Amino acid sequence: MKHDQPQLIDALASEYVLGTLRGAARRRFERWQREEWHVASRVRAWEARLIPLALGLPPIAPSQELWPSIEARIRVADASRAATPQRRVARPGLRALAAVLVLCALFAGGFVAWRMTESLRLQTVATIKGAQGPLVWSIQLDSRGERLRAVALAGAAAQPGHSFELWALPPGKGAPVSLGLLPDAGQLERTLSIAQRTALSSATQVAVSLEPTGGSPTGAPTGPVLFVAALKRA
Amino acid sequence: MSNTDAANSMEDELVQLVHACAARNRQALRKIYDLMAAQMLASLIRILKRRALAEEALQDVFVSIWQRAAQFESARGSARIWLMAIARHRAIDVLRSERVDLYREADVEQMPEPAEGISDWSSAGRSAAALARCFQELTGEQRRVIELAFVNGYSHADIARVTGEPLGTIKSWIRRGLASLRACLEK
Repeated sequence: MKHDQPQLIDALASEYVLGTLRGAARRRFERWQREEWHVASRVRAWEARLIPLALGLPPIAPSQELWPSIEARIRVADASRAATPQRRVARPGLRALAAVLVLCALFAGGFVAWRMTESLRLQTVATIKGAQGPLVWSIQLDSRGERLRAVALAGAAAQPGHSFELWALPPGKGAPVSLGLLPDAGQLERTLSIAQRTALSSATQVAVSLEPTGGSPTGAPTGPVLFVAALKRA
Repeated sequence: MSNTDAANSMEDELVQLVHACAARNRQALRKIYDLMAAQMLASLIRILKRRALAEEALQDVFVSIWQRAAQFESARGSARIWLMAIARHRAIDVLRSERVDLYREADVEQMPEPAEGISDWSSAGRSAAALARCFQELTGEQRRVIELAFVNGYSHADIARVTGEPLGTIKSWIRRGLASLRACLEK
């Protein structure tokens, strides 16, 4: 690609904005315009020329549920961004928290036999479904809000090297709280920590993000948020 | 208020709202959504054909606006164009990764023919009125191929298939049509 030809740059910018510059050529051109202001300015000029074509189309109102999903994704994105620079500072705290969680898990383990005999009825509190795909989980909770079961109802397989992680989204500006990984098939049942129970009791929605295998390394969502679903209260 | 005045007043409001988003004001993003989401969805559905896919893309667009609001510079261009450009580039990105049946009818109650697809140029402001005028100066073939590419998201090869014309002819119509548009808009 000859980078010093204004006519060539202009022709590429016009086809980029028109949408006919595709594939590797489009990706190369995107990199180029990020690096070179004069290329970016050609793109802006073509956007100003052609985009009014799209502004003349008859508008189509989005579904009612679209805005709440956007709002939830923004909260997750903000929480994720806020969590990243604090990671190092918080590491000793996280270790202590991890130790507490391990102790809690051991403590909970001591009561397994007792729990086995207790038949608490689980109720579906959320159904997670993609707008297009068959991916569906049912999220169930016992009446005390202590046990959570995630059931994969349809084939759900994360790409190799990834896991699906479930998050409680508290109202207002609260950060999402992990509720653990979701199964690719079958079901997973777990006892929730006090922090998870508290988060879940005030949450109005749950979200699913795509994380590295084993879950988010930071305690906040790091991958894309794939689904957001409302929480039903019994 | 004339359509052009209304478009200018909306532009001023959008500039303020994008700046407010850069200052992390979520209400501002909601207002942008109220002003622009239906317009963006119309464009996304025509490119991606399926409403569900277009609505997913629209979510991505608003997350992207929220994350990139600080990069917007009003001195360098219109907020309305900047916002629509994010939506259109997202649609083309989705075309890369999703298998979209380009020949499927879009999930629009009445899919206008490409030549009738642009319903209301005047509401889009003075730049749209100028584009409408210049568009009429193109040949019929040039208008059709540019609309098929821009409004329907067709590639050169798709347009060649739909029109039955050779690929080289399509590329030439597009190239000449865009050059004529540019020359007319700069008069």
